[in-house]
Amino acid sequence: MRSNVLSIVAATVVVLLASTSALAHHGAASIYDMSKETTIKATVTEYVWTNPHVELGISPSGGTTTELLLELGSPPNIRNRGWTSRTVKAGDVVTVTFHPGLRGAKIGVVVKLITADGKELHA
Amino acid sequence: MIRRLIALATAAALTAAAAGCSKPAAAPAAAAHPDLSGSWVRPLGEGGLPPANKIPLTPRAAAKMKAERPAAGENQDFANTTDPSLKYADPNGYPRISMHPMRFKLIQTNDYVYQLWEYNQNWRQIALNVPQDPDPALTWYGNAVGKWEGDTLVVDSIGYKDSTWLDSRGLPHTQDLHLVERIHKVGENLVFDITFEDPGAFTKPWTAQLTYRPSPDGTMTETIYTISDELRFRERFLQQKPTIPIRR
Repeated sequence: MRSNVLSIVAATVVVLLASTSALAHHGAASIYDMSKETTIKATVTEYVWTNPHVELGISPSGGTTTELLLELGSPPNIRNRGWTSRTVKAGDVVTVTFHPGLRGAKIGVVVKLITADGKELHA
Repeated sequence: MIRRLIALATAAALTAAAAGCSKPAAAPAAAAHPDLSGSWVRPLGEGGLPPANKIPLTPRAAAKMKAERPAAGENQDFANTTDPSLKYADPNGYPRISMHPMRFKLIQTNDYVYQLWEYNQNWRQIALNVPQDPDPALTWYGNAVGKWEGDTLVVDSIGYKDSTWLDSRGLPHTQDLHLVERIHKVGENLVFDITFEDPGAFTKPWTAQLTYRPSPDGTMTETIYTISDELRFRERFLQQKPTIPIRR
């Protein structure tokens, strides 16, 4: 069973402070619940280095199809924080923390990510 | 052979004599102006234009701003934004482009100063020591001329298209926008003191100060923004159907 392959390691927590993610392109509050953070372990299904925001697709169930689509900052902003176009790739197992989409939308905005080899990066 | 040896010996003797008699090299002439060249960055969340209620908007400009739907901040409506830089992928214009938390470079030469922005790879040129064109073509980044006043580069610019927003809140202007910028260093930082003058949009001139820090990492990352990128993002994250065919 796929869900046994990878486990969800943390639940949703409420945070008091808004993320410092650089979302110059749009306001986050109209899309995401900035009062919540969710941390899960998941398999990367896609990682697209693009504008206006780098996109990270993940599968908490360990599959190859994107079940949650997460956004990061724009390429220059996250490069300043140590990200590159090769930070992760499809198939990597990562632990990612994000603000979830409003109204149950299967989207989110990344707060931080821990790569398979333990490197922690903030978005 | 003998002639060659004599020539070499003579050359060596002259060189030695010259070395003995040489005076210290003249010190290089002091730079007439500070060098503002370098990579600069505005830290996220620092500075910016004043609150809207502190800007002396004309009634017409106030109504226009109120009707706009910015993608962030107060009155945000990302899904239905009227922001021309998102709706049409228009260039930001000036000074909005300088408010991203991204780098720009200043390249200073004897007759021009170039400002190169990381965002969208846009740039403007500031012609030095030439008169302002009284009737320039209207452009995204205006017609800028500059001159030095001591350690300050004073830039005068006009000729801006009125379709741009002055910032991401939807602050409007007309084609009569006139900016005077005083660009100078304060410590290690670069400061732009900007005076905004536009009788159609503002009841009186007003000022803003934008401060930039040195960016030790001068690498400019490509971040060219297209309408296809925007529509793709909206399709994926907002489930908005693209209004035109997009790149797949």
